[in-house]
Parts: sequence; C-alpha cells; structure tokens
Amino acid sequence: MKCANLTLGLAIAALAAGCGSIERSRALNDPGVPAAATAQQVCSNCHGIDGNSVSPNFPRLAAQQKDYLVAQLTGFRTHHRSDPAGFEYMWGLSRHLTDAQIEGLAAYFAAQKPVANAPGDPALAVRGAQVFKQGVPAKEIPPCQSCHGVDGQGNGAFPRLAGQHADYIEKQLLVFQRTDERPEGAVMKTVAHLLTRDNMAAVANYLQGLPPK
Amino acid sequence: MRRIAATEASRTGWSRGHIVPTLFVLVTLLVAATQARAIPVFNRQTGQNCVACHAGGQFPDLTSYGRLFKLTGYTIGEHALPLAAMGVASYNKTRSTASPDPSFDSPANLPKDGNLIFQTGSVFLGGKVTNNLGAFVQFTYNNYDHQSASDSHWIGHTVSDNLDVRYVDRFIQPGRDLIVGATMNNNPGVQDVWNSIPAWGYNVVPGSTGPATTPLVAGGLAQNVAGFGAYAYWNRTLYAEVTGYRTANGVWSFMSQGFNAERGDQAIVKGVNPYWRLALTHDWGPHSAMVGTFGFDAKVFPDPTDPTGSTSNYRDVGVDGQYQYILDPHAVTLTASYIHEHVHYADSLANQAPPLDPDGSLGLPLTNASDTLKMFRAKASYSYNAKYGGSVSYFDVTGSTNSALQSSAFDPSNPGMLLDGSQGVTGNLSGNPGTSGWTLEAFWLPIQNVRLGIEYTMFNRFNGASSNYDGFGRSAKDNDTLFLYAWAAF
Repeated sequence: MKCANLTLGLAIAALAAGCGSIERSRALNDPGVPAAATAQQVCSNCHGIDGNSVSPNFPRLAAQQKDYLVAQLTGFRTHHRSDPAGFEYMWGLSRHLTDAQIEGLAAYFAAQKPVANAPGDPALAVRGAQVFKQGVPAKEIPPCQSCHGVDGQGNGAFPRLAGQHADYIEKQLLVFQRTDERPEGAVMKTVAHLLTRDNMAAVANYLQGLPPK
Repeated sequence: MRRIAATEASRTGWSRGHIVPTLFVLVTLLVAATQARAIPVFNRQTGQNCVACHAGGQFPDLTSYGRLFKLTGYTIGEHALPLAAMGVASYNKTRSTASPDPSFDSPANLPKDGNLIFQTGSVFLGGKVTNNLGAFVQFTYNNYDHQSASDSHWIGHTVSDNLDVRYVDRFIQPGRDLIVGATMNNNPGVQDVWNSIPAWGYNVVPGSTGPATTPLVAGGLAQNVAGFGAYAYWNRTLYAEVTGYRTANGVWSFMSQGFNAERGDQAIVKGVNPYWRLALTHDWGPHSAMVGTFGFDAKVFPDPTDPTGSTSNYRDVGVDGQYQYILDPHAVTLTASYIHEHVHYADSLANQAPPLDPDGSLGLPLTNASDTLKMFRAKASYSYNAKYGGSVSYFDVTGSTNSALQSSAFDPSNPGMLLDGSQGVTGNLSGNPGTSGWTLEAFWLPIQNVRLGIEYTMFNRFNGASSNYDGFGRSAKDNDTLFLYAWAAF
C-alpha cells in the first residue's frame, strides 16, 4: 500500500511539474499564450467559444468590429472603461494582456460567425426600428444606423449591434446616459442623454432580433 | 447514519478567554471593511470581483462561470499570493433552554446560547499552481471544537477542512468542448460545482443549525478520507465523475489533521469506497439548470481504534437539481436534493443491547441490523445587486426507528417515570431520527468580502416527534434558533 501511495504521489508530482500545452493555457500573464487559446479557454466561459454568448449578462462578440474590441480591451486594461460589468469581470482578466494578445483576441472574435439571437418583444421592436432608422427628430436624436450601419453591423470604432442582447444594450445606454464610465463613447452620451427608457427598451429589442448579415 | 450535534451552534461555552478572539475578529472585520483591496486567493489570481464566480456575491453559491473556474482546476489567471483567511463571528439564541427535569443543567447543554462568539477562523492555501494544476486547501481553527473530558471547558483546535486539488485539461474544437480532470479531495461532494450537493448546499455558515442525523454522504466522512477521482464535462451539457475514497492516513494524513482521542478518532474505512456523480446541464438566456444524481458506497469500521472484522456498509443514492437566474442586479438560485440511505450495520453494532438498556431491564428492543434514512432539502435564495439578499430553506429527515438512538425511556418498574441517559436537549425518546424544519435568512454584504446575516431556524419535528421528543416535555420548536453571523474573507 505504501508503495502504491508513493507511486501515486510521484505521479501527481510529475503532473504538477507541468506538461500542459500552451495551446490550451488559461494563463493570463504569459505573452506566449496564443490569443485563440485565451479566447477558447477563458473568454468562452462567458462569451461562448464562437462569441455567441448565451447569457445576456455578457455581450455577444461574434463578428464584432475589431477596432471596437481592441478599444474595449485596452479600456479595461487601462481602467478607462469603468462601468460595473467592466470592472467586476474584465479589469482583472485584461490587466496583463499584451497589445499583440488584445489584437489577436479582437481578430478571433471579429472572425466568428454570428448566430441569430432570440427575437425581442415584437411591439417594442416595431417602435425600436423607428428609432434605429429615423432617430427621434423631435429631440434631435439621430438615427442609430447612421453610425452603426443599416444592418446594425457596426463600422470600425462603432460597434456591431445586430443580434446583441437587449439587456446589455439597455444597460450600456444607461451607462452612457447617466455616467462618464465609458469616456471613449462620449459621442453616445450626447446621443443617449435624451433617450427615454421606453426608447432604449424599444431599440434594444429591435436590435436583439436583427438577423446576422 | 451519523450523529452530529443537534444544534452545533448551541453547544459551545463562553468565558472571559473568548473576549480576545472575538474582539480580534471584530477588529479584523473593521479592517477588512476599510480595505476592500484585501482580497482572497482566487480574487487576486483573476483580478475579478467575487460576483464573477459567486451568484449575487453570495459565497459559496457558484455562477456558471464559477463552476467552470472550478472545473478547470482553479487555473484561470496568474500566480498570486496563495494565501487567504476567513473568520466567522456569531451569536445564537435558542427559543427555550428550560429543562423540565431540574437534574439537568440547561446552560450546560446550550452553553453558547446568548453569547457573541468567535466561531471559526480559516486559512486558505492554493490557487493556480501550473497551467493545469490548481488547489483549494482550507485549514480551520474551531474555537469551540470540543469539550474537555475533565471539566467540560471548550477547547479550540485546528483541523483540516475542505481540500480539493485538481489536474485539468480542456480540449476545444468546433462543436466540441471537453473538460477532463483529476481531483484529490477529502470529502465526498466537496469537489462538486452545484450547490445542491450537501458539501456546499446547506448550513454552509459555520455554526448554523440543522437536522441532527444526516446521511453519510452529507459530511459524515468529511476530512476523514482521501479521494482520488476523474471527471469529464462534455459540451457544457453532461458531467460524469467517479472518485474512490480511502482512509486519509499515512502519506495522506495531511488531509485529516486534527483528530485525537479527546475530540474523536478519525473514522477508518475499508479499502476504496466509490462516489459517483452524473449531471445534465443546460444554459439558456439568463437561466441555467442542472438535474443530477450521485451516490456513495462506504464500508466503515465500527471501532476506529480496532479496524478489523465486519464493517457498517452504507449505500447513499441521491437525486438533485439546481436552477439559476442571473441577470444583474438579480441572482436567484434554487436547489433541491433527496438522498436515500441504506445502512447495514457491522456485526458488533447489529442486534445489540441498546446503550440505554445494557442489561435488558428496560425491555427496549435490540438495535437494528439495518436502517434507512431519507433526507430532502431545498433552498431558494435571492440576492439584489450583490448587496442584499435572503434565503428560505426546508429540511426533512425521516428514517427507521432504532433503539440505538434512544437516550431516554420509560422506567418499567416505576410506571410513568422516565429514565434518561445524559442528553437533555438532544434526548431521544422514540429512537427515531425524524427531523424537519425551515430556515429563513437575510444578509447584507457591505463590501464584497464581508457578509452579515441573520438566520432563524424553526423545527417542526425533532428526533422523531414534534412534542415531548425527549420524554421530558421538550418540543421540537424549543430548538428554534436565532443565529447572527459576520463572515469575512480577506
């Protein structure tokens, strides 16, 4: 029995010595870890392996604009983006990513194929389509599509919104409207400050149901 | 079945010597409250807030991400100071400490009652070791561990607590996600990631109260055994695990530190005892659900000082489920488990004269050769904004009647008179373990690593009866307990 114990102990020690592949590493402070490994081994836990997150607590990243993703990850790393979901979950994870890893992660998720999300509330979505396409002229709120694209696909620093979780969009609109926690999105503060809660819910429900294009 | 303290929370003493540790804990809580950066191991390792892994910040309930963090062997992140500490200060008040029999000294039976105490302090070691290896190792100092045999004063003691060391790899390809791992741990179920398994499900606040008799898999061999197992989690849908447990002695005794003759000997099991677990999981939107089953077969020597001869053979089979809804600021967790235990006692325990009636003069039946015990538990908890919350839980233990559990009985030579063993508050007239009740809890997290809570446990039934369970007129509801706690990790 003693011998068996010793063998087991030695086997564990051998494993502890480390023979794991860096291709499957979950280390977040090793510049040698490929971005795809981090995306699959760490980011996927919340955002999905293909970036199509299941829980609306976590934004969908599939086919997201690469520039936007780089800006967000950099914002988390430098603490410039400080909304609660950002600092609670992302500050720590991003703190030792290199610029190259951030580029790689952004490229990984930008290249993923978006999957249709569940349709939003139909009545809200109808009103939301109006806000998205025409804005709210009475309040001088411009149409969202003028920056985010007619299909909500985004453009460079302007994020893709099509198929994004409605809950996430609403919460971020509130962050823009009520706080300065996302200074890089200052342009959204101007746009969002006159949006009503109903406008936000409407446009968010419309966007969640937008099919991937 | 095992006997644990009926109201463990209510069996400890208080003296001037305890003021210092209590003050220490209170000062520590204050320091923790003013230094939110003082954070536990995993927190430092990932840089994330508690709320990432714990549902609504309510440790130890895990979120979907927290479950994956544990299943991938605590290896996400970077090496950090592998040390953290936890302290619990508590106060409890039992509804009635009165004993109808003046020969009982009630305060001696409920010596902790009505006193603010420093309950336990723990040190955690662990976190990420390599890219594949991680650990969760806890040692606990229990300020009220056991009473001195000579003068009944309480003795503090440091013991092994939860331990879980894992080696894990995860293989991801398009359409396939496979986590495979090995675990070494010292409590069947401590390695589980859903909070419906007894190890992490109920009465998790040190010092809180619950049923007196529970199945073996509900902590009966915790820190007595060393388990080695393997598991796989496929496509975040199917989880399967088999772990074998042996006595944690010899080179494995680091998992079972602290046993001695005065506080109780370490249980000795025969050979390798299997534990198994299957679970089906599904996440949709902000919801996640699990249905599962688990079991534990164990052969336990009746006398740990003489581990020879026949063993008591336990077969525990459980079904459980969990539902979670997590969408900031709301976190809801519902859990339920049902465990059926059949135990066939060792020859030296079966068909014996009961402890209360060694010479047969009371006419009590011989002890059973086998028993069944069933435990149902369910809990619903809610947390708002990881700040405020509460929970409701229900427990119901039923089982066969066995004279081995009897600690009071009618005296046949003096009709109407009672004979008693030595247990007043926890006395058992019927020999039935049936206990049921509710626990209500409310809590507040002023900062993420400090939780202040209040619990009230109501017993509908205790030791097989709702009234006069001890033969001396004590009702189950007399054990209703108010429990206040301050729990900090830093």
